[in-house]
Amino acid sequence: VLRRFHSSPVCPKSRPVPTEFTNQDGKKRDTSLVTHDDLFERVAQDVKTKATFNKVVDLFIKADVRRRGHVEFIYAALKKMPEFGVERDLAVYNKLLDVFPKEVFVPRNFIQRMFNHYPRQQECGVQLLEQMENYGVMPNIETKVLLVQIFGEKSHPMRKYQRIMYWFPRFKHLNPFPIPKELPEDPVDLASFSLTRIANDRDAKVTVYQLPCTDITESGEEITIPHIVGIQSPSQIEQLAQHNPSRPVFVEGPFPLYLRKKCVYYYILRADPIPADEKVEEPYDPERCLDYPLQLDLDLDRDLGDEESFDVEDLDEGPVFAMCMTSQGDQATLNQWISGLQQNNPVLGQVPTLFRLEAGPKELQGTAETESGHHYGSDSATQREERQPEENPDIITEEEPRRSQGMKL
Amino acid sequence: AEVFPYPEIGNEEVEEISQLVAPVEKFFNEEVDSAKIDREAKIPPETLNGLKELGLFGIMVPEEYGGLGLSNTMYARLAEIISLDGSIAVTLAAHQAIGLKGILIAGNEAQKQKYLPKLASGEHIAAFCLTEPGSGSDAASIQTRATLSEDGKHYLINGSKFWISNGNMADIMTVFARTEVVVNGEKKDKISAFIVERAFGGITSGKPEDKLGIRGSNTCEVSFDNVPVPVENVIGEIGGGFKVAMNILNSGRFSMGSSSAGMIKKLIEMTSEYAATRKQFNKSLAEFGMIQEKFALMAINAFVMESMAYLTAGMMDRPGLPDCSLEAAMVKVFSSEGGWICVSEALQVLGGLGYTKNYPYERYVRDCRILPIFEGTNEILRMYIALTGMQYAGKVLTGKIKEMKKGNIGLALGMVGKKLRNSLGGSVDLGLTGKDGVVHPSLAESAKKLEQNVTLFGFTVESMLYRYGKTIVDEQLILKRVADVLINLYAMTAVLSRASRSISIGLRNHDHEVLLTNTFCSEAFFKNNYLMAQLQKHSPENNDANIKKIAREVLENRAYVCSHPLERTY
Repeated sequence: VLRRFHSSPVCPKSRPVPTEFTNQDGKKRDTSLVTHDDLFERVAQDVKTKATFNKVVDLFIKADVRRRGHVEFIYAALKKMPEFGVERDLAVYNKLLDVFPKEVFVPRNFIQRMFNHYPRQQECGVQLLEQMENYGVMPNIETKVLLVQIFGEKSHPMRKYQRIMYWFPRFKHLNPFPIPKELPEDPVDLASFSLTRIANDRDAKVTVYQLPCTDITESGEEITIPHIVGIQSPSQIEQLAQHNPSRPVFVEGPFPLYLRKKCVYYYILRADPIPADEKVEEPYDPERCLDYPLQLDLDLDRDLGDEESFDVEDLDEGPVFAMCMTSQGDQATLNQWISGLQQNNPVLGQVPTLFRLEAGPKELQGTAETESGHHYGSDSATQREERQPEENPDIITEEEPRRSQGMKL
Repeated sequence: AEVFPYPEIGNEEVEEISQLVAPVEKFFNEEVDSAKIDREAKIPPETLNGLKELGLFGIMVPEEYGGLGLSNTMYARLAEIISLDGSIAVTLAAHQAIGLKGILIAGNEAQKQKYLPKLASGEHIAAFCLTEPGSGSDAASIQTRATLSEDGKHYLINGSKFWISNGNMADIMTVFARTEVVVNGEKKDKISAFIVERAFGGITSGKPEDKLGIRGSNTCEVSFDNVPVPVENVIGEIGGGFKVAMNILNSGRFSMGSSSAGMIKKLIEMTSEYAATRKQFNKSLAEFGMIQEKFALMAINAFVMESMAYLTAGMMDRPGLPDCSLEAAMVKVFSSEGGWICVSEALQVLGGLGYTKNYPYERYVRDCRILPIFEGTNEILRMYIALTGMQYAGKVLTGKIKEMKKGNIGLALGMVGKKLRNSLGGSVDLGLTGKDGVVHPSLAESAKKLEQNVTLFGFTVESMLYRYGKTIVDEQLILKRVADVLINLYAMTAVLSRASRSISIGLRNHDHEVLLTNTFCSEAFFKNNYLMAQLQKHSPENNDANIKKIAREVLENRAYVCSHPLERTY
């Protein structure tokens, strides 16, 4: 064990033991030695904010000029950051970096430079930057200045910083459909945001069919009316208008959509693809265009080398006419959605609408299982069989069978 | 055989024209105040009366109905002068070239007797009503309806048309509306043409549109509210309106060539005076190379436009009513674009002075901007030119291409042999030059270039049809290049034909004509080669795929896609 010059040899500090001791109040504490975790616990019993975190760090800095045990302190602080909610805050990281004593770890001659000067501190610095990278925090010029002052130019943390600064600007605008950091809280706003994200069509219009509210009926019961937000684009309206009334349309759902950590569910209104023999093509009208012939009267087809419209992945899965999101996905609510849609698409009044709903993530009242997916295909059959034993599933356990479904298929 | 020799008109006709031309020119120079017309957005009634007295309202109407009864060539000659004032030219063109052409071409005797005399004298003004807010070239989206009344004697027209020239003043309109026709037992909607008089009632005109150029011409919206039209006023037959419309539109186009040419000639006069008198650095503007280039460009354009216009007019005047719609379209495209470029350059020569309202150049620029747009936008006409050509070529080449696709070895070897011979520099001889050639020997080089272009074009068309077949209708970028090549080829032919005639007869300044011809031909030759190189398969000059991709991304975002150059990421 190397003796450190800048700390007293009397009491070697020990690393915090990572065992979980459940206390009376269920907090994770270790009772072996008084460690730095304690500081954090003690300072903020109830409120864990940035201010309190900063207070702890300040306490440590002021306590000792020599900053004894700063490595363990920094490790503990890094572990506690998510609890305090400051893991994405660059100022806090810079403050933590400030805990390191400056100019001590900078190598001063070629031997020091050769032999990984102060490896533990360098590793700690690298771990700090690593946590920054994991949470996607872009470091600052202040970070660089701090690192240069603390570790010197050619140190491991400096190299890590350079690597971060090479890749992070490139990664910043990679996502063609970025999700804003703060998702809207209001369920109606959230629903319209996610529906526009799914539809990805500028002409699609979002309509709120119902706003959420809680009503108290005469008998004193509380009835919550869920919000219903739907989306449809003009081309979908046209397609629906041309749909053959003798063929049914299906309301399917709920399908999950993940936005960062949030999962919302949406329902779609679709129809089966038209079989090839029934496809009607508009006959060519030679008097359509006043100036030039829209179709040439030749017998020649496109050359194989220039044939660009064939794509193996291009499958005709049937048109999707509209989508909606609601907090409560039972047949009554979805019926309301359909009747709201009917205002713009009168053909829905004559077309038979079948509901193919699966058991949603929450407890459903009056589950909609009219056409509970006999013809849905191998997909929902296996899903149904797996989910039926879980009648009142929790959200967390619900997601796992779905995920494993995805991997199996 | 039709283009060489250049069409001529007889001596008597030349004299007749010069007699007609003189008073018209005098009228335009003295009594027409274009600046005032432009400012007030109205043509004063005295001017209109003057035009009526000169007989300019019925140039092509036969003499038995009271018109001047002139041929297409003479119409083109008069259009050269009329074009000095854009608004008057458009008003007259809307009246005769499209307004009363319908009655002239497709009307029956009774209709002609009834309407043409008044129209020719100018007492009634005609207009052509086809465009609607939702329908420009798409005839299927015309909403105006004509329903047969109960007694079967009248049609009631309901609907509205807009951008009708002469809409406010017109008394007689050619209106296109949908009628129900029974075809093979099925009811269909087809378009029919009707002659509608304002006196029938129910016609309201909106307010005149405030336009950028041709402000004197009256353009407005016309609405029809249950207008009764007697059954006798149907032009052609019920349901035949489409053909009538096509014939009318196709025959009115060629005059644009000569009107642009006339305008450019006048501009050259005015601009060269300025260039010769203004001095900078102790040299007059005329001695600077760039200014000289502009004048050369204007001269060449005027020359080519004149040649093409009179060639087409001459072809149309041949007995038998030949269908020159393709050539007329080519004339229109070339002259509208050439006219726009030349007028811009003329304004550029004058610099700041040209930009002010004190000089007429900015009025000419504004008037010329409408040329590529009306009478069929240039894009539509390019599609027409290319597709008509492809249709004809396709019919001829279908058999051969099918054979090639099946893999007939003999044919393939023949093609390979021909290609080798061509690329190793064999000379091409289509019979234009040489002992029996129709082209004068001093133009032999240009004629050789034309021949080379034509043969290469033939090969290119064949390979296009091989690659795309009938789906070529969707490849607009390719058809645009084909159309450009065709226009250049026609221009080269017209120019060679005219120059040969000039030399052979000994017209004044024919050596200048030879110079213009050779310059134009070498430029056009180069442009054609480049266009045809772009049409080859996987050619590096062809940027079509990239262009389509850029357009797709921009249109998806409906905005400019790139991030600002000053943005930072960290």
